[in-house]
Amino acid sequence: MSETRSEARPETRSVGRSVSRVDALEKVLGRARYPADFSKPGMCHAKVVWTGEPHARITGLDTSAAAALPGVVAVLTSRDVPRNEFGLIESDQQVLAADVVRWTGEAVAVVIAQTEELAEQARDLVRVTYEPLPLVLDPIRAMAPDAPLIHAGQASNVMARWKVRHGDVEAALAEADLVIEAEYHVPLVEHAYLQPEAGLGYIDEEGRVTVVVAGQWPHDDVRQIANALALPPERVREIVPYIGGAFGGREDISLQIMVALAVFRTQVPVKMVWTREESMRCHGKRHPFTMRYRWGAKGGRLTAAKVELIADAGAYSSSSKAVVPGAVSVATGPYEIPNVSIDACVVHTNNPPTMAMRGFGTAQPPVAYEQHIDKFARALGEDPVSFRLRHLWDEGSIQPTGSPVPPGVGVKETLRRAASAAGWRQDGDRWVRPDLPPLPDGRRRGLGLATAFKNIGYSFGFHDRSTARVTVALDERGEPERAELFIAAAEVGMGVHTVLAQVAAEGLGLAVERVKVHGVDTTRTPNAGSSSASRHTFISGNAVMEACRLAMAQRAPGKRQVEAEYTFDSQRVRPTTDFDPETGACNPHITYGYVTQAAEVAVDPVTGAVEVLRMVAAQDVGKAINPLMIEGQVGGGLHMGLGYAIMEEFKLREDGRVRTRNFSEYLVPTTLDMPADLTCINVEVPDPAGPYGAKGLGEHVMIPTAPAVLNAIRDAVGVDVGELPAGPERVWRAMEAARASAASGKGVAR
Amino acid sequence: MDLKEVDVELIVNGRRHKLRVGTNLSLLQVLRDRLGLTGTKEGCAAGDCGTCTVIMDGRAVLSCLVMAFQADGHAITTVEGLAAGKKLHPLQESFLEHGAVQCGYCTPGMLMSAKALLDADPAPDRETIKTAMSGNLCRCTGYFKIIDAVEGAARKIGPASTARGAAAGAATGSSKAGEGR
Ligand code: FES
Ligand code: FES
Repeated sequence: MSETRSEARPETRSVGRSVSRVDALEKVLGRARYPADFSKPGMCHAKVVWTGEPHARITGLDTSAAAALPGVVAVLTSRDVPRNEFGLIESDQQVLAADVVRWTGEAVAVVIAQTEELAEQARDLVRVTYEPLPLVLDPIRAMAPDAPLIHAGQASNVMARWKVRHGDVEAALAEADLVIEAEYHVPLVEHAYLQPEAGLGYIDEEGRVTVVVAGQWPHDDVRQIANALALPPERVREIVPYIGGAFGGREDISLQIMVALAVFRTQVPVKMVWTREESMRCHGKRHPFTMRYRWGAKGGRLTAAKVELIADAGAYSSSSKAVVPGAVSVATGPYEIPNVSIDACVVHTNNPPTMAMRGFGTAQPPVAYEQHIDKFARALGEDPVSFRLRHLWDEGSIQPTGSPVPPGVGVKETLRRAASAAGWRQDGDRWVRPDLPPLPDGRRRGLGLATAFKNIGYSFGFHDRSTARVTVALDERGEPERAELFIAAAEVGMGVHTVLAQVAAEGLGLAVERVKVHGVDTTRTPNAGSSSASRHTFISGNAVMEACRLAMAQRAPGKRQVEAEYTFDSQRVRPTTDFDPETGACNPHITYGYVTQAAEVAVDPVTGAVEVLRMVAAQDVGKAINPLMIEGQVGGGLHMGLGYAIMEEFKLREDGRVRTRNFSEYLVPTTLDMPADLTCINVEVPDPAGPYGAKGLGEHVMIPTAPAVLNAIRDAVGVDVGELPAGPERVWRAMEAARASAASGKGVAR
Repeated sequence: MDLKEVDVELIVNGRRHKLRVGTNLSLLQVLRDRLGLTGTKEGCAAGDCGTCTVIMDGRAVLSCLVMAFQADGHAITTVEGLAAGKKLHPLQESFLEHGAVQCGYCTPGMLMSAKALLDADPAPDRETIKTAMSGNLCRCTGYFKIIDAVEGAARKIGPASTARGAAAGAATGSSKAGEGR
């Protein structure tokens, strides 16, 4: 097989080129406007009364002092919300809490005043009294039959369970000559986008309730706003300007309904801006997981994988019923293992609701399976690259859910390319790791790698649709002159508008600069679904490609403009299905992207501090539509993955209140924490159903980072850190435990 | 609430503004809400993220931590004042060329920190750039391309500044380090 495996395809002119982002100029000029940058004459300001209580019954709510303050326009409570509910999958959250609060970030009232200062003053005058209810913060404890219920009326705090049965795992474990068992834990983490939530609401010229907000799923926001206000959806409008990062954290409603409600009730323009503390405390987080892995091998080959996953949903369901299935579907990695058994559940607690975050359930299991794979390789005395290559998927491999993997399987190539770049050399079938000379400062050097994969697009039978409309101006010969693209794909920073402009330019034979991508306005741009699941390149790219083709087909002599609209629906092209309740059999996903990353670290044996010195990232993207933007995404993925590995944890106190309130307490990597060197390699194994063979990559590039770093730490100091983040104290404790057990003659724990 | 107010004169991007401002207002609030210069962003209002960075008297400052009255009489440059008319500043050009902009929310602050650095040290090495930019958080890029872009801008500015300035030796030495990647 050739080195890059890029099959010969027709020449492309826009696709595959590192064109400058269509929005970059406005951004470097400071002209790009984000929600907090919008104002309207005569607008009022809104502030939220947050509960701060992790679990309590509201016994009294007195807004009279606030309402009496001169300059206060309205104080809204649950009684002012026509239909007091919202939620991405189930409407189990309250816009303004009426009765019980289940986590600290619930809103109780909204105060609207003529100035921001007055709104703040009035907010502090609202009196709420509570009767505390029993607290459950630990998901394992929440599962106990006698645990206090988070949602009265439910049979237990366990929201849902899933299982997959493939082959006979118990028999295979009994026959195995090597069984390794371990438990891994990943914490609650925060999206930490730089732009805190903000919004401006007003009644537009056609009388519609309009919000200017940073939403990842504009049309679903409209659905939820309309539902809560009991308005027909066509009376609600969402405009999405520039967004300062999202990473899944803007897929749920944050302030959209509160802003719309404020406008609806007062009929004046209203602006709401959250502080960083409000943003950190009052939007959802990444699911913490406890992951129990018991795997077996026979004759040097993995034969059995038994996995148990317990995920913390926090107080409300958000997208947990979609996130955890994602985790189930990747729980044993991109490996061929004949006997698999997976059990998973997701549990309510009084923690912040957990939601979509870069990876959507596929970022947690690799922390377990990639450390587990390394443990097998070590126990069998085989190089981790060779061991992985003997088990990784090929075209046609069967997944634990019984279905073949979608076409375009570049996973082995990502491993070979990453390992080579990290210094491994190939000796026949064997791979030999490089010798690392010791560091002059006495720190221990280590090298580790991890391979992972993730789906692109919605899964489990969900229709993944995107609609694009294109208008093309033609010259007198009927050739395209310029085009305008209408598609409600929220640009959260990942570059979707640029990618779609490139795809349209390619389809129309235009230069990218001649394609204008209109900003999202739910009344003008058709529904493209969410900016999530790494889906826009594949799903919306297909929609744009076909819309362009249809537009071009309408050209006729004398016509100076053509227009076409097309809705791409994944179910017509690559149908997926939901789990069989007994066996878990299904065709889970549309397509996959694959990634391998290698990390070189230095670990201080005295303090346990870890520094990541250099990283290699190889990703199978199908087709690199914009190589420079991919490098940018890889850098950001490493940032988030490295934070996950060694720094980031959203902490609650024992009483359920938030400890990490701002960036001084929630630490994300700075320039000084990032590796000095990054090698970025694009592998292009096309998916025939993707536009020009492209798949997607936004989430993929953060997924293997943490396990690669953990494997490098293991390589450096010989200890496994099963719990993230692997901060100095945790690494030091693991080293101490290993030293103690070596001293007592018991041998080092695996 | 009877907040005290004071008269201040701010010189922003070369223009003088006479304003009456509350003593509780930060420079960031006044720039954004009173002068309409929304290019400067608020990410934390606590000095932790750098999105509010502006240049005051040649130094990068966090405008969320500077009270408006403290800026009285001082010269301030914001991202809106970086380009000279239609001509982009070399840093802006370099950010475009290197793909250093993603969501763009950190970009104004990054540009201003980088400008303050290059104004003081026209040919910083990579480590110096990293240190100078370590107070500016970015969640999208991993900083790689931002650091590349600052190096690239230093190369663009380099020779001219060297001719003008005193740090000729340093400039030559460091741009080589910059090209090392
Ligand atoms: S807003 Fe000033 S440092 Fe964050
Ligand atoms: S580009 Fe998004 S925070 Fe830096």
